[in-house]
Amino acid sequence: MNRRLFTAIFLPCCLIAFLFCAAQEAQPQSRGKSSVHAAKPASGATSEGERRFRTNCGRCHNPPEDISPREARAVIRQMRVRAMLSAEDERLILQYLAP
Amino acid sequence: MDCVRDAARIEEFIGWRSRGLVPAKAFRIFLLVFLASSFARAQENVPIISGGLGFLGSSSGGVNIFQPVLAPVIAIPLSDKFLIESRADIRGVVFREQGTTGPYHGRFFGTLEYLQLDYNANSHLTITAGRFLTPFGIYTERLSPIWINKLQDAPLITPIGTGMAYNNGFMLRGALISNSTYSLNYAVYFSTLSTLNKLQSQRGAGYRVGVFLPYTRLEVGTSYRRTLQDTRLNSVGVDFSWLPYRAPLGIKGEWAHSPSGHGYWIQASYRLSQLTGSDSGWGRLEPVFRMQQFFRSKFITNDFLPSSNTRRPEFGLNYFLPHEIRLNASYSRQYFSHGTDVNVWDFGITYRFLFPLWPGGSK
Repeated sequence: MNRRLFTAIFLPCCLIAFLFCAAQEAQPQSRGKSSVHAAKPASGATSEGERRFRTNCGRCHNPPEDISPREARAVIRQMRVRAMLSAEDERLILQYLAP
Repeated sequence: MDCVRDAARIEEFIGWRSRGLVPAKAFRIFLLVFLASSFARAQENVPIISGGLGFLGSSSGGVNIFQPVLAPVIAIPLSDKFLIESRADIRGVVFREQGTTGPYHGRFFGTLEYLQLDYNANSHLTITAGRFLTPFGIYTERLSPIWINKLQDAPLITPIGTGMAYNNGFMLRGALISNSTYSLNYAVYFSTLSTLNKLQSQRGAGYRVGVFLPYTRLEVGTSYRRTLQDTRLNSVGVDFSWLPYRAPLGIKGEWAHSPSGHGYWIQASYRLSQLTGSDSGWGRLEPVFRMQQFFRSKFITNDFLPSSNTRRPEFGLNYFLPHEIRLNASYSRQYFSHGTDVNVWDFGITYRFLFPLWPGGSK
């Protein structure tokens, strides 16, 4: 009975998630966000910012899939406190996320 | 657009002033322009709401528990120096009345995990006041959010040194030294006693000091806490985290000791993105293994630790779907020195969200 209940809840959750993702991928992106995975200008500061992002932020979580420059500013302000970033780390990572 | 509006208002203001406008009206217009300019400047520091939404389920020895969870995080930058940040945990717990039998019942719980004002005094110091998470080890502060943790259940030793996980008081933290070779970070805090409903905290003081080597992405830290109410208790801990650059591998662990006992956890996770790319079907999969043990020394009431020696190997799988959705499932067997061993099954789906608190352009 318990296993049936688990199956009955878990499988629909998976199905809903897959359908949601498929539907999202079919829609055009309209929020003006940029993906941190996307190719960015390979300036020295940006590549240093990427390195510092991977070094500091990557210790706890994956990079965000997409983030707008407005959001990036607030996120970095918060992460400076939580991840104990230096002011230089904050500046370079922000330059990488919101060039 | 705000700048254009501001400029128009300033021109209007100057024009009216030249026509001999009454001071009270001029002052009101000046105030309006000032507020509009402040709002325009605030666009650079827009508040955000982020966090996680999830549905978690577990079965431990035949006892099923289901938990819908919402964990919103709010960050409000007030200026270049000040920041208000907060995180709550709102969850429903659905369980059977007699454990393994009987009808299902549900209850809702809300927890304010932190609500703090941060002041960035300089590059090496941030002063925090309010309610904050205990900086003991790496789990509570860094890995506990539902959208970050690789395995649903917190390690057995998490209650050691964290008090009630939350503190009301003040904290100094930052990177004392930060260069390309190493970084020395610290957090020192004092927490006061609070018995307010939903805002409880214990009186205590402690610190965490960590050394991080950027070239190897290895961090080693040590933590200490002294509980300063009722019985004086000392807790110490050591933690490490290693994420090599060459592989999507993460190895983390903690050891902690208190008068109640001591224990450790060590966790390894490896994302299969090296095989076929991070966006491929297999590349989105991340197996996780964690081993943990707790050794009971003395029984202390309300220490939230296992009542006897406990061992728990755990294996899990995370699957990262697009748009910050993650599926996870894990199996573990919990061995007790006194009592019946149990199988623990966990599954969950989490979604990480991030929005600005008010609309605006992307810049």
